[in-house]
Amino acid sequence: MGRLKQYVWRYRRRYWLGAICLLATATLVMWIPWWIREAVRIIESGGSLEDVTFYAAVIAGAALLQGVARTLSRTLIFNAGRDVEYDLRNDLFAHLEQLPLSFYHSQRTGDLMSRVINDISAVRVMLGPGVLNFVNAPLYYVYALALMLSMDVRMTLAALLPFPLLIFAVRQFRGRILKCSLEVQQQMSALSSHVQENLSGMHVVKAYTQEHYQTQKFVELNEVFRAKSLEMAQIRGVVTPVMQGISGLTVLIVLWYGGIRVVRGDLLVADIVAFIAYLNVLAWPTAAFGWMLSLVERGRAAMKRLEEILKIEPAIANPANPAPIHGLKRGIEFRNVSFVYDQLKNGHPAVHDVSFALPVGRTVGLVGRIGSGKTTLAQLIPRLFDVSSGEIRIDGRDIRALPLGELRRLLGHVPQEPFLFSTSLRRNLAFGRGEVSDEELDRAIRVARLDRDLAMFPDGVNTIVGERGVTLSGGQKQRATLARALVMDPPVLILDDCLSSVDAQTEAEILQGLKSILKDKTCLIISHRISAVKEADEILVFDEGTIVERGSHQELVDRGGVYAELYQQQQLTEEMEQV
Amino acid sequence: MTEPSQQEESLGQAYDLRLVQRLWKFILPYKRLFWLAMLLLPLQQAFGLAQPYIMKIVIDQYIGGRDLWGLQGMGLLFFGALAGEVVTLFFHYYLTMAVAQSCLADLRVAIFSHVQKLPMSYFDRNPVGRLVTRMTTDVDVLQEMFSSGVMTLISDFVMVAWIVVIMLYIDVHLALVSLALIPLMALAINYFRVKARQTYRQIRERIARINAYLGEAISGMAVIQLFAREEKSYREFEALNAAHRDAYHLSNLYEGALYSMVEAAGSVSVALLLWYGGGEVLHGMIGIGTLVAFKEYIHRFFVPLRDFSQKYAVMQSAMSSAERIFQLLDTPIAIQSPKQAVIPRPFRGEVVFDNVWFRYKTDDPVLKGVSFRIHPGERVAMVGPTGSGKTTTIKLLNRFYDVHKGSIKVSGVDVRDWDLQALRRHIGVVLQDVFLFSGDVRANLALGDHSIPMERIEQAARSANADKIIHRLPAGFGADVRERGSNFSGGQRQLLALARVLVFEPEILVLDEATSSIDTETESLVQDALERVMRRRTCLVIAHRLSTIRNADRIIVLHHGEVREMGSHAELMEKRGLYHRLYQLQYEREQLTLATREHVPHIHD
Repeated sequence: MGRLKQYVWRYRRRYWLGAICLLATATLVMWIPWWIREAVRIIESGGSLEDVTFYAAVIAGAALLQGVARTLSRTLIFNAGRDVEYDLRNDLFAHLEQLPLSFYHSQRTGDLMSRVINDISAVRVMLGPGVLNFVNAPLYYVYALALMLSMDVRMTLAALLPFPLLIFAVRQFRGRILKCSLEVQQQMSALSSHVQENLSGMHVVKAYTQEHYQTQKFVELNEVFRAKSLEMAQIRGVVTPVMQGISGLTVLIVLWYGGIRVVRGDLLVADIVAFIAYLNVLAWPTAAFGWMLSLVERGRAAMKRLEEILKIEPAIANPANPAPIHGLKRGIEFRNVSFVYDQLKNGHPAVHDVSFALPVGRTVGLVGRIGSGKTTLAQLIPRLFDVSSGEIRIDGRDIRALPLGELRRLLGHVPQEPFLFSTSLRRNLAFGRGEVSDEELDRAIRVARLDRDLAMFPDGVNTIVGERGVTLSGGQKQRATLARALVMDPPVLILDDCLSSVDAQTEAEILQGLKSILKDKTCLIISHRISAVKEADEILVFDEGTIVERGSHQELVDRGGVYAELYQQQQLTEEMEQV
Repeated sequence: MTEPSQQEESLGQAYDLRLVQRLWKFILPYKRLFWLAMLLLPLQQAFGLAQPYIMKIVIDQYIGGRDLWGLQGMGLLFFGALAGEVVTLFFHYYLTMAVAQSCLADLRVAIFSHVQKLPMSYFDRNPVGRLVTRMTTDVDVLQEMFSSGVMTLISDFVMVAWIVVIMLYIDVHLALVSLALIPLMALAINYFRVKARQTYRQIRERIARINAYLGEAISGMAVIQLFAREEKSYREFEALNAAHRDAYHLSNLYEGALYSMVEAAGSVSVALLLWYGGGEVLHGMIGIGTLVAFKEYIHRFFVPLRDFSQKYAVMQSAMSSAERIFQLLDTPIAIQSPKQAVIPRPFRGEVVFDNVWFRYKTDDPVLKGVSFRIHPGERVAMVGPTGSGKTTTIKLLNRFYDVHKGSIKVSGVDVRDWDLQALRRHIGVVLQDVFLFSGDVRANLALGDHSIPMERIEQAARSANADKIIHRLPAGFGADVRERGSNFSGGQRQLLALARVLVFEPEILVLDEATSSIDTETESLVQDALERVMRRRTCLVIAHRLSTIRNADRIIVLHHGEVREMGSHAELMEKRGLYHRLYQLQYEREQLTLATREHVPHIHD
């Protein structure tokens, strides 16, 4: 909870001002019954209407003032809650940005999302309405008690008789509500996981006519959820009436005991009126006590879950004292690099004992079948994953000792699976940079052969793409991600099979255009198509996570190994395409 | 950065008769509980509102009349009213929630089972996340409608009406004076309601943007990190976040003002009451008790007014959630069994494609007049370059999509005339990317059908060579399968999928062979299992393995959505056409790669 205190502390002025306004509100709220008492006393003793009118006017004036103070107090404190929510959400986002890819592989997006959304809102409710009531309730109690005691001690004590009952009830419900709401949440998440999986595997469900069984399973989970929710409703359902009953009981005592004393002549009806008015004022904080507690419980539980995410140390982070990188001088070098996805079955290394050099200004090609570990290898360079053993060096320094941001800015990575954000194409292309001139943009678009597509888009480069805009084909997406890397203009380019969905003709055009750019870049081209790597300075043939052949195109063709075979096939493919 | 999505609420009405009527259908099965809860409502309020009236009698008659015995009796009466209020309040709430939970559970099932029936094309268009939201978040909003929206709104109206009646009954003049502020209040409430509604709409839009941005950032985190864009993305997120916060700051002001005004009006009304009522008491026209009771009634009168705006907001979002839910429920089930569905008996494993045309959406046609016939028990391999329409062909066969022209007949009956479930049960499909469900191995093989005996599952696993991997698992058939089967390798998933086919014993097998690499050990197991699975069945295989096409009775060569060649391996090779070239291209390699692999030391040996 230490973190939460910091946030609250940051907005302490709002909270303080809010608290002062609450105090002002409470003062006015508490004096109104007093003045009512005065008015009734005058009425009771047959005084003058003018005096009654005076008190009525005072009450009306106080009511208006109280309205202003109350508006301010609520606005200030609720706003502070929103401020903390804002900070917390920002910090969480910033933290998520630092967590490595392996974290996202182990989490479901939906799960993470709902956690972030619901938990943050629970914390906010605790810090807005929760805090307000938390300050207000004791204030009201102290004020009301002091004024009631000053009116009549015995009467006050009698009215407060049911309060131990209240404290007992609150204790009873507290634990049960927390436990129950946790169970409800768990059940809900089980339910949505089932839905998620069912929908993702819909083709299997349909092919095997499993609709019925899937529904049955859903019904079962749904039933448990319903039962748990009802249990919750039962507890909640008890809390409010019990609180209301207890506050009603206090009114009854005042009426009954006070009545007897009025009959005896040592109390006025005006006192009863005032007492009941005070108890009425206390009714809300009393009834809301359980609610307030559950807000706090929920808020704390939510904060705990958020903390769980926030306290995860980014496994891949900036080293302690990284020396800055000044461009690329010598090159990138893999030294006996192996990598194992830890959650992977049998612990097969995805990359096994790989060594090669990528000297500055050169192009290395990497070919191999799908699933041979090429992509994993490429992801090791920008440290999306860290090597399990061996090291990757840039200009002789282990990349783990380099500043992470600078390392990544050195590399233009075009991933195999193109991912674009739902925004304008322009913003997607400029993703790696802030300002981009039209010329730079145009050049990248031309090289990536996006120009023809742009002509067909409604707003050209300002067209919104993605879920909320134009849906791009796989090839278009790939070319856009290529253009995105080119716009960034980094010294190193890593092209991870980034033209697999592009037809051969366009690919050839793109490769042709890339040629001039690659001249002054260091480049790793990964492809299952020979045409893409043919002109590389060195070609590595990859299989089952390791290098099985290496050399220039001509050397490899002459050797007549795996590469030569692959080459022959692909020449045939090209022929096929032309049929 | 993200644009508001189209489905973002058109927030407006808090009450839509059409939607309420449809929701009512879900309440109907529980209508007795519902009406019971509704009946308890006036009862509970009568108990509550009796209390101030008892006060009036106590003060005016028994205290004024110095009647202690009467006072005791009235005290008991008050206690009775209080107890009645507490008990009815509990049961009202509990019953309401019982109805709510039950009918919303039904609603969830209705959505789920409707979604099960939607055609595949629907899932191509709608992201999973959105559908999950329909079943969880949107239904939750409806629950809130029950717990703090419509029910309390109704009860508030009833209560306010009660109070007005009681006050008028006790003293008309005093009632009119006490309620003098109502017209003014109504104006003010309306003003703030409109204001609050505007900000509320803004808030919904902005939170939707935040969530969309967040969701996308999480999915595309690798890209953000690769481009070292963390700071810029953070700033964009912060801007969205700040806009959301600011909208709330404004809304807090409106809501706070509204709330405070109602509270203040309550106190001003009491002042009016004291001023006018005080005069009446002094003139001996009413007792002090009446004044006290009126004060209580005023207090109770203003509470519902105070909470009105909040409940209104709840109703608004409930209506837009209901709208979205019913929209989903109204999505037509484009592909379903016809009214007079046919289940041909006996079943012959014969497949006929007759001049089939098909396109996804408005793109170019994927299949252009495809015709072929597969005889019962025949094994047909389909080959062709990527994008030639092979996968589409098998998706049409079990009616994931409907053809645009032509027809597909299975066992002599057009698939559109078939009972859909029966059709699919006769056709076993193994796709390249095998999908496993989370649960255990057994549930994945029997797909949750508990009526399938264990022996049959074990037998199937043995025939499909899956027993070898299953027995290696510590828990055997009870071993845990994680989401999407991520704890199994591609080859292992293939074996499990083949076992699954054998459990269900379909007469027709459709197989999309995996192209991706499987480790050599599993590869031979898969080869061996395939042979057994294909025996005695009509098989349509998208072939990637040499052995598969060699063993096929016939080969169909698909290219650009057309059948280009058809015949046995030998015939087609002799023809020296497309197949010949394809064969050289795709399949001879296999022999060579296998040969070269022998020289490569295996890393995991």
